[in-house]
Amino acid sequence: MPRGAAPRLTIRVKVLLVALALAVIPLVGYGYVREIEKVLQAAHEQSVVATARAAAAALHDRPALLARRAEAGASEPPARAGSAEIELVIKGLRRAGSRIWVIDQDRNLLALEGSLRGEPEPAQPPEGLWGRFEAAVLRPFYALLLERPREDFDDALPESALSAGRAVDAALAGAPSTRWRQTPDRRAVVLAAAHPIWNGTEVAGAVVAEATTNSVLTLRNRVLEQLLTVTLATFVVGAGTLLLFASHLSARIRRLRDDAESAIDAQGRVRRPLRAVADGDEIGDLSRSFATLLDRLREYTDYLERIADRLSHELRTPIAVVSSSLDNLKSQPLPDTSRVYIERAEDGVRRLETILTRITEATRLERMLADAEREPFDLGRVVSGCVAGYAGAFPQARFALRLPERRVSMVGAPDLVAQMLDKLVANAIDFSVPGEPIEIAVDAAPGGATLAVSNIGPALPAAMRDRLFESMVSMRAGGAQGDEPHLGLGLFIVRLIAQFHGGRASARDRADGRGVVFEVFLPAGAA
Amino acid sequence: MRRMSRRIALVEDDPVLRENVADVLRRQGYETVVYADRAAAQSGMQTRLPDLAIVDIGLGDEIDGGFALVRELRARSAVLPIVFLTARDSDFDLVAGLRLGADDYLTKNISMPHLLARIAALFRRMEVLSAPPVTDEVVERGPLRLDLKRMSATWRSRPVELTLTEFWMVHALARHPGHVRSRDSLMSEANLVVDDATITSHIKRVRRKFQAVDAPFDAIDTVYGMGYRWKET
Repeated sequence: MPRGAAPRLTIRVKVLLVALALAVIPLVGYGYVREIEKVLQAAHEQSVVATARAAAAALHDRPALLARRAEAGASEPPARAGSAEIELVIKGLRRAGSRIWVIDQDRNLLALEGSLRGEPEPAQPPEGLWGRFEAAVLRPFYALLLERPREDFDDALPESALSAGRAVDAALAGAPSTRWRQTPDRRAVVLAAAHPIWNGTEVAGAVVAEATTNSVLTLRNRVLEQLLTVTLATFVVGAGTLLLFASHLSARIRRLRDDAESAIDAQGRVRRPLRAVADGDEIGDLSRSFATLLDRLREYTDYLERIADRLSHELRTPIAVVSSSLDNLKSQPLPDTSRVYIERAEDGVRRLETILTRITEATRLERMLADAEREPFDLGRVVSGCVAGYAGAFPQARFALRLPERRVSMVGAPDLVAQMLDKLVANAIDFSVPGEPIEIAVDAAPGGATLAVSNIGPALPAAMRDRLFESMVSMRAGGAQGDEPHLGLGLFIVRLIAQFHGGRASARDRADGRGVVFEVFLPAGAA
Repeated sequence: MRRMSRRIALVEDDPVLRENVADVLRRQGYETVVYADRAAAQSGMQTRLPDLAIVDIGLGDEIDGGFALVRELRARSAVLPIVFLTARDSDFDLVAGLRLGADDYLTKNISMPHLLARIAALFRRMEVLSAPPVTDEVVERGPLRLDLKRMSATWRSRPVELTLTEFWMVHALARHPGHVRSRDSLMSEANLVVDDATITSHIKRVRRKFQAVDAPFDAIDTVYGMGYRWKET
């Protein structure tokens, strides 16, 4: 299919490039998911803040719980009853993956409940074809793209957060506040919401609710995975459909191109009509207009081929007018000085008539070939008979004949083969060096026989080599040396007769480089 | 007048050629009437048939007008000598013309002397047909008998319907049995100016006519590259 060295953008490649536009869908989806993530984060933050506030509210105005601890001072063990009660209060507020701690004014940890680590999702064994595909292909792929929240982060309560956290400072100062921080090992992000515990009008302590963003991240990841799966599937299905369509389209176009190319042979003749397809689309239109085009082209080449025929037909009447006028003139008493001109005019008319006969010879032959009868004959006998005739017809030329010992039987029109040999020999005589023999040889060849006519003389002109057997092509040097007009039809007739027998004609220089060989292969064929 | 005045109808659409041919005919003493198209020829020959008709195939706008005219003339008279004189030289037209019953088919490149010879031969045949048979100018070659006066041929005593051209070809071959006659010599014997292929198809037609009378006929032998020969039996 690729005909140039340069790579071409085929329709299929172009359609695939166009399909890349579908890649925008996951991008848009990703942006949308990020927006949702923000909303979720905000909601998450709200819920953490609400947890802190609720815990603080539960501890409001219960100085005993906090104070007892304060009274105890640094003495050990701390009053456990208060702590236990606080823990009881905050336990009810705790959620999975969050932790609540309570400190007093002196930043002593009064109670701690819950863990930042969520429950790890139970790994489900992949089920079904899709499940296995998801586990084997999609999950590793998503793992590359998406950052997975991890549960193995360091959830130790940093001293700095306890003592110097800005959220804690603000809460102890009486203002609820939130703070985002990373775990010390930077594996997770923790949101801390601090809320003051009021005892009357003074701050007795603070509740800090903490939660990682892992739940939000997990949710986001799940949405993104689904989005990716859906868009990937859409892309595969869409691009596949487009590819199929483009393949179908380009196959049709290629078929049309091949049809159009093979409808015309190397000589520009229309070999066979293009079969127009019935499709109603543009390619169908194209095919139909190609078919019309080829029809017109064929009409035109037919016209060109027939023009010689018509020309000769149209010219015959005026030539008859001239020659009959000359005949009439000859019967008049004329001075001798005029007679010579009449003779010259008659000579000219004769030459014109010869040209006309030659011109129509090829078309007449084509017509004759159409209904020629085939009969079995011996090629050797036809050729030897012809060569015997040439000796008389061309006394100035010498002929060397070589025949195979066995009969060369074939089926065809012996008259036409003789006519073909006439043309080949006439051609050889015209180009041969006087005195050198013209060699005519019949040789058995695989599937048939070859008839070769060879003469010593000028080599074939390279420019003409491929066109020698076409109509009206002559390699003779211009200028009318003799009175025999040359129209370049002889070898065309050779080709027609060879083709009629299912054979082919070719020309080449002799092996010794001293002349040319014209060779015709004729299959033994059963017609 | 050297000869009895005969009346020739010439149907030809080209005015100059028509007058040229008419002049030649008149100079030979033939009374010549000319027509330019089929309608004129039909009305002109309505009351009186000529002694010979020379007809072009293409007549003005009617590309096959001559064929129609000849069909009609032949229907009116079986013996009227009819000659096609036309620019068309295809085998197809030639066969069609002869099948319609024309006695000869000449292409326009025939020379005037040749044309006159053909016309004279046709008249001679007419004369002999109506006259008591003479036996002098006869060529006999085995089963073949050619009557040069009547321009008629018989094979094994059965008549073979040959056109003038074919008759002369057979005569040229049979006069010297065993001798190869080239296509060129056959052409000049038959006063034909056509190409080799037409000679080939003429010979084929002659063979078929003889074979119609006598199926195993093979007296005309093809000598490839040279011509034809009458086989002595």
